[in-house]
Amino acid sequence: MRPLDPRLLRYARSSRGFLVLGAVLALADTLAIIGFAWGVTASLTHIIDGASWQELAPSLGGIAACAAARALLSWGTEATGARGAARAKSELRMTVLTALPRLGAEWLENTQSARLTTLLGHGLDALDDYFARYLPQLIRTAITLPALALVVFGQDLLSGIILLVTLPIIPIFMVLIGLATRTVQRRQWDGLNRLSASFLDVVGGLSTLKVFGREKRQIDRMSSITDDYRRSTMAVLRISFLSGFVLELMASLSVALLAVSIGFRLVDGAIPLTVGLFVLLLAPEVFLPIRQVGTHFHAAAEGVEASQDAFEILDAAEAAPEPQCASLSASGDLELRDVTVVRDETAVLEHQSLRARCGSVLAITGDSGAGKSTLLRVIAGLTPHTGSVHVGGVDMTAVSPGERSWLSWAPQNPALQAGTVLSNVTLGDPAPDVRQAERALQRAAAGDIKLDRNLGTAGMGLSGGEAQRVGLARCYYRAQRFGAHIIVLDEPTSALDRRTEQIVARGLRELAAGGACVIVVSHRPALVEWADECITIGDRAEVLV
Amino acid sequence: MTSTADVRERRRILRRALPRFRQVLPGMLSGIAMGLAIVALLATSAWLIVRAAEQPPVLFLTMAAVGVRAFALARAVFRYLERLYSHDAVFRQLASLRTDVLRRLIPRAPAGLTDRSRGSLLTAVVTDVDELQNLSLRVVQPIVVAVTVAVLSVAGIALLSPTAAVVLAITLVLCGIGATWATSTVAGASERSLAPKREELASAILDYVQGFPVLVHYGAEAAARERVRMADARLTRTALRRASGFGLSAAIIALLTGLAVVGAISVGSTLVMPDGTGGPVFAVIALTPLAIFEVIGTIPVAVNHWRAVRSSADRLAATLPEELPVEIPREGGAPTGTSAPTDTRLTLQGVSARWPGAEENALTDVDLVVEPGESVLIEGSSGSGKSTLANVLVRFLEYGGSYRIGGVEARSLGDVHATVGLCEQHPYLFDDSVRQNLLFARDTATDEELLVILDQVGLGDWVAARGGLDARVGERGALVSGGQAQRLSLARALLRDFPILVLDEPTANVDAARAGVLLRDLITAATSTGRSIIVISHDDVPAPLIDRRFSMREGTLV
Repeated sequence: MRPLDPRLLRYARSSRGFLVLGAVLALADTLAIIGFAWGVTASLTHIIDGASWQELAPSLGGIAACAAARALLSWGTEATGARGAARAKSELRMTVLTALPRLGAEWLENTQSARLTTLLGHGLDALDDYFARYLPQLIRTAITLPALALVVFGQDLLSGIILLVTLPIIPIFMVLIGLATRTVQRRQWDGLNRLSASFLDVVGGLSTLKVFGREKRQIDRMSSITDDYRRSTMAVLRISFLSGFVLELMASLSVALLAVSIGFRLVDGAIPLTVGLFVLLLAPEVFLPIRQVGTHFHAAAEGVEASQDAFEILDAAEAAPEPQCASLSASGDLELRDVTVVRDETAVLEHQSLRARCGSVLAITGDSGAGKSTLLRVIAGLTPHTGSVHVGGVDMTAVSPGERSWLSWAPQNPALQAGTVLSNVTLGDPAPDVRQAERALQRAAAGDIKLDRNLGTAGMGLSGGEAQRVGLARCYYRAQRFGAHIIVLDEPTSALDRRTEQIVARGLRELAAGGACVIVVSHRPALVEWADECITIGDRAEVLV
Repeated sequence: MTSTADVRERRRILRRALPRFRQVLPGMLSGIAMGLAIVALLATSAWLIVRAAEQPPVLFLTMAAVGVRAFALARAVFRYLERLYSHDAVFRQLASLRTDVLRRLIPRAPAGLTDRSRGSLLTAVVTDVDELQNLSLRVVQPIVVAVTVAVLSVAGIALLSPTAAVVLAITLVLCGIGATWATSTVAGASERSLAPKREELASAILDYVQGFPVLVHYGAEAAARERVRMADARLTRTALRRASGFGLSAAIIALLTGLAVVGAISVGSTLVMPDGTGGPVFAVIALTPLAIFEVIGTIPVAVNHWRAVRSSADRLAATLPEELPVEIPREGGAPTGTSAPTDTRLTLQGVSARWPGAEENALTDVDLVVEPGESVLIEGSSGSGKSTLANVLVRFLEYGGSYRIGGVEARSLGDVHATVGLCEQHPYLFDDSVRQNLLFARDTATDEELLVILDQVGLGDWVAARGGLDARVGERGALVSGGQAQRLSLARALLRDFPILVLDEPTANVDAARAGVLLRDLITAATSTGRSIIVISHDDVPAPLIDRRFSMREGTLV
């Protein structure tokens, strides 16, 4: 980690004001430190000189006043740091989230969702240490350290020189050790990620493992993975802690050196006791900020490492193509002309053309993996492809996925959101219409699901079949409410029984009778029978499965 | 979390998180040594300087000068050792903590975990287990070290001046109480609401990331992003309140440090004689509080960590209590010795079953006999109890009535999974290669055997096209289609060669033409090795493939 990451500061613009405020507080705190040390020195020397309580009162009062001031300032410093960190974190989190649409659905699907979720949640929280502790402490060091060193110089030249010699050694060592651990830090963060991914994989597949009697073996595996992690982490820590050790050693040895040198000069009567005590009290305070920078450095490094992942996303977004063009209204048949989709250098869909007519149901069948779902994603504009998509003769290829108002798409995975059934069915509608939502549910054979039912994350609380039907209702609602006349459904009945399937099929016919152009991907003969037309895709020798 | 059972559960988890005494001892001793070095360094320096000002022969100062240097060195060395020893002890404990959580999860999966979403499992397991590591590192050790050092220092001061020791002890106790109060009441109140707010944010992010294509298409992407922003803002507000509490505790420490010094100076001044002797001892008494307060400044932080650790333990205890719900089968029964009974006739008599937390039985009074080698189909609409039956057959769910395999009650059978296999409705694929996803079914299988099995389920060409057995399946099988996942799952079950195989909705995601072929392959293999098959499906299965068919309606077979 570099001491200051310019990119991090650039992305967290709003935290700057708090850093400035932190600097002002640090300056005030420096004055309070000097006052406190002076008060203690004065009281001590007065008492040793046998002064009266009257003479003593001002310096004792001064100690108390400075302590009160420091109390107030430390509260202010804590609050300011936390506020700045919160701002910075939120800003970075939202910047990354705003960049995701530009990268598109295809990019997101190729990224591990667990990794991304960890990064945006827990991962960025690690930045707290950077913005609330490390950075303010760095600023504090820049203010307090020279100020106090200057005061020591003014009091006692030799002590000042000792400080001047020992202080620069600390950052030099820190940089050297920091350089040595940088790559190791990165590896450790990757390791932590892998560890959480493998833990989650085991937890997710636990029932499968149980079927095969392999669950006990995972316990040993987890144990050995964690132990490997311990070994590698300890190797890093041995070096990481070394920089802390050097810091501590330099700081405390310098203070010891000062104390001994002052002591021997006091014996000679070269300096007065006042100066000796004052310098002794100030010296640790000179080193304190720089020691704390060291303490926070490694905690901050973890946050900075996490932010590197965020920057990678932002860089990718900057490199992504410009947003596509705006909405074009259109009515009429849907036509695909010579569409080819290549993923990982393999053709998923090759030279596919088709025409779907308004007022009819088109069924698309084909073996699993033939590219049926991909075809629908092409229509939705979510998958990069060659060839073109036309609606009523208008070329829609360049229209962004969010602007295809003529289309309503129900993917195989309904991806429901936390909220109510109503909020899911009326997704994206600023003014939900309850009656239309009910009608959509009925048409999707989901009239038995109550609209006010609460769903958890990812639609938790519904069975697979129920979630599928709510996803279908959501699609119908959009079609009716916003006049999307092209309706594409991806395996809408794969989790439904035959009776329910018939209700869904009748719903599709109704929609077609109303003039809609319905395209349904399915391998279920019962559903395909209801279609006006059926095409099979991927029916070539090279696509067997 | 107030009931005694919950407290006992929490304590059990906390005990698991705490390394053994033998392991924490080196770190703790190093910490105490470091704390004492800090105090001794300041005391010796103060004595040295004030004594030197009296201009004694240099000989009287050399001991002190050596002491100052030695304590400075000791401080740094012991600090390094403390950190190294204590971290090592904690990481050693982490493996046991993780495996303990896994051990608690195993009997519950999948029937006992249905109400946990993946996002909250992530939070619960990763965050809470990580948090528990702090118990020894940031709670127990700092408190033990700080209190020990403070007590020893006060005792040392008492040797010089008992009154000064009393004043010091009073300010230390006041500081401890005040700072702890500030962190526990002010910061603690916000701390408690921090975890649910964090989970809310994680859930909003998960919904956004996983639902992204849908959100974009439905024009709801901005609203979902807004949901994340709102959750983030709520979390921030709570975090700021907490920070304010920390600030208060820091303020109390700073204030009381000042007061302790003022008190020590006032009380200690009596040690200075009118002729000026007693100055060095007075300086020690006046300045040592500065060092002691530095050491006990770690206590409020530790108290704060304790609260976080405790709520993590509570969460884990709530999700994974030691006590299993009655609907979940207990481990074991008697080990059978012979892992698979030779007679694989399956008999159900009056079997009923219920999901954890459910009011009513999902299965009532089911009678069924499946002879060895027989193929049985169980039809029914969704929600009729078909999947419940599958869960009972592989002992994911506890049952009432009698369920016997080869005449032995399944409950008393050591390992039902040696006999009854299951192809799940949503097969789980591990983020690994095709080979690894098959091998865990039978790890002695050769590549040739794997390829033969893949051919049997119709995946031979697919695997060849993807570069062989090393092809990866992606996170949660993201790189394979639903049908391919089912085929891989069937391949695993064939590889394991279960005497009885339950297929839970195998055709849900497989095209109709191939489903027929697949089932035929399967049944051919079954008759040659005497395997029985129970197919659960809402789809029709062609007549010649099935010996007998049943229909399930509202939890009973008809």
